Amino acid sequence: MSDPIIRTQGLTRRFGAFTAVDALDIAVAPGTIHAFLGANGSGKSTTIRMLIGLLRPTAGSILVDGIDVIRHPRRVRDRIGYMGQRVSLYQGLSLRENVEFYAGLYGLAGGELEWRWGVLRERFALGEAEAERPEDLPGGLRQRAGLALATLHRPRLLFLDEPTAGVDLHSRALFWELIQEEAAAGVTVFVTTHFLEEADYCDWVSFIDGGRLVADAPPEALRRRFSAGYRIAVALPAAARAAARAVLAAGGHAVEESAEGLRVDSPELAPRLLETLAQLVARHPEARVGIEQPAMTDVFRNVLAPAAGGRA
Amino acid sequence: MSGAAIRLRGLAKRFGRRPALAGVDLDLDGRQIVGVVGPDGAGKTTLLRALAGLLEVEAAEAVVLGHDLAGDVSDLKSRVGYVPQAFGLHRDLTVGESLRFIARLHRLAPEAFAARAEVLLARTGLDAFVDRPAAALSGGMKQKLAVVCALLPEPALLVLDEPTAGVDVLARGEIWSMLERAREQALVVLSTSYVDEAAACDRLVYLDAGRVVAAGTPAELRARVPFALYRAWGDDPRAIARAARGLEYAQGARAAGRCARVTVSTARAPDERRVLADLAALPAGGVRFVERTPLDMESTLLALAQELGARGSA
Repeated sequence: MSDPIIRTQGLTRRFGAFTAVDALDIAVAPGTIHAFLGANGSGKSTTIRMLIGLLRPTAGSILVDGIDVIRHPRRVRDRIGYMGQRVSLYQGLSLRENVEFYAGLYGLAGGELEWRWGVLRERFALGEAEAERPEDLPGGLRQRAGLALATLHRPRLLFLDEPTAGVDLHSRALFWELIQEEAAAGVTVFVTTHFLEEADYCDWVSFIDGGRLVADAPPEALRRRFSAGYRIAVALPAAARAAARAVLAAGGHAVEESAEGLRVDSPELAPRLLETLAQLVARHPEARVGIEQPAMTDVFRNVLAPAAGGRA
Repeated sequence: MSGAAIRLRGLAKRFGRRPALAGVDLDLDGRQIVGVVGPDGAGKTTLLRALAGLLEVEAAEAVVLGHDLAGDVSDLKSRVGYVPQAFGLHRDLTVGESLRFIARLHRLAPEAFAARAEVLLARTGLDAFVDRPAAALSGGMKQKLAVVCALLPEPALLVLDEPTAGVDVLARGEIWSMLERAREQALVVLSTSYVDEAAACDRLVYLDAGRVVAAGTPAELRARVPFALYRAWGDDPRAIARAARGLEYAQGARAAGRCARVTVSTARAPDERRVLADLAALPAGGVRFVERTPLDMESTLLALAQELGARGSA
C-alpha cells in the first residue's frame, strides 16, 4: 500500500471519566473508500471530528495529507470536504445561494465557479433543486446537494459522517454510486455509517465498538475470517453431474453432492473459481449457478459475538 | 375477537397544510410481524402513531382492536404497546423503576407483574442493570428496555417506530427475537430502514406520499416488481459497475463486495441469455463470471421506489 493519506496513532479522547475513543490506530490508503463502522455512541463522530481538526484529542497523533492536524487544525480544512450528520446547508438560502456562499469561503468565483458547479449540478442531478431552499427539498436530494457542496473546492479527501442516516434506500443506493465515482476519480473517502451492509461498497473497514477498534481489514478479509464463506450451488440434471464435477475438481475445488446437483464451499471467490464456474456454465448451459455471499451484517455479528459478554 | 385487528379506509392526517397521510386503506390481522417501509416523509411515523391511538385522524373507517380511532381511544391505548423513534422513557428512572411505573399505569397485579418482569429482564440481559438509570444505558440496552416496557402489559398490538435504528448488530438480533416471541400473542407493526429486517417481516406495507401503494408478503412484493437482478463477478467490481451503467436497459449498477449488482428492467431488457452475454462482454473490470440471481429485498424495495417515480431523485 502506498503511504497512508490518513494516519492516527494511539488516538484517544476522554470526556471526564468516559473514554469515547481509545487508542485508535487507523491508516487510510489514498484513493480508497474507508468505512468507519459502529453503532450509535460507539465513538464514530468523536473520531471524525478529531480527524478534521474540530476536536482536540486527549492523546495520540493525527496526520492527514501530511499535515499534523493537532498542531495545524486550520491548515487541513482547505484540503478536505466534510459533510456532517445534519447536512450543513443554510436554511433560508436557496441551494444556488448556498453554493455561492461556500464558493466564497474557498475563493472560487466567476467562470471557474460556473464551470465547477455546472459539472456537479449535472452529475448530482441538482438542476431542478437550484432555486429551492434546502428545507423544502426531500431528504435524498438535500443529501446529494450536501455532497456536491462538500466537493465544490475539489478536495483530495472527503469526510462523510453518517451521510446515509435517515435517508431512504433509493437515495442511499444513488449516493453510494456517487461516492464510488468520487473514489474512481482519485478522491479518498472516509465515511461513517451504521448500515453494516454498506461495508461492501468500501475498500477497507474499521469497525469500532465502545471506542476501540474491533476489526480493521478489507471487507473480503473480514468475510473470510468471520463467516462460513461463500456457498456455491450448481443445480443441474443428474446425468450431467459427473462431468460438471470433473470440471470443478480439475479447478482444485472440493465438491459435494446435493439434492439439486453440486455444492462448493469456499472461503473466498478467487478468480480461478469464478473462471471454473464460467467454464462449467459454458459446457452445461442447463446448469444454474447460485452464489451465496455471506451478509456483512452476519459477519459483524460474528466479529462482536465473543466480546459481547456483560456489555451494558 | 371479531373483525380484523386493523381496518382502515381513507385514513388521513394533516399537519397544518401538509398532508402526512392522504387516504390509507389497510387491513391487518393475525399474529404476524408487519413492516411499514417507504421513502422519507412517506408518512410511516404518522401511520404508526395513529395505530397507537395517539393522533386525531379523519377516516371513512378506522378501527383498531375494535376501537374506532375517531371515538374514545383511552381503552385502546391500554391494549397497544408503543415504542417511539426517540427514546420515550423517563431518563432518571432505573430499569426496575421504569417497569414498576408501567405496571402501575396498567394496573398489573403485583404477582403477575413480578413474574413477567423477571422473564423479560432475564431474556434481554437487562437483569444485570435493574438499578441503573435508563439514561446511563447503552443505545442497544435503552432500546431493549423500551421494548420490554411496551411488552410488559401483554398488548394485543405492538407498534414500534424504527426500534433498531442505530443499535448495534447484537442488540438488533435480540430485539428481533423479542418481537418474534411477541408475535405468538400479538400483532406486531414496525417501521424499519434495514433491508434485512424488511426481508424478515411476514408482511410489508409500502407507503409513499401518505398512501399504501403496495402490500403483501415479501415474496408477493418481489413477484410484482418488473426488475431482474444480475451479478457480474470479476477483478474490479467498481469498474464493472460503471461499465454496466452504460447498458441502455440497466436501471442501476453498484459494486458490492466482489461483484457488481446490476438491476435491469424486464420490460426493456433482452432475454436472459443476451443480458448475461452483454455483461460478460463488458469492456472493463475483468468480468470472470456472470449470473442472474433472485431479486433480493434490496432490489425489490429499490424497484418499488423507482416504479413510483422515485421522488427526490429526479
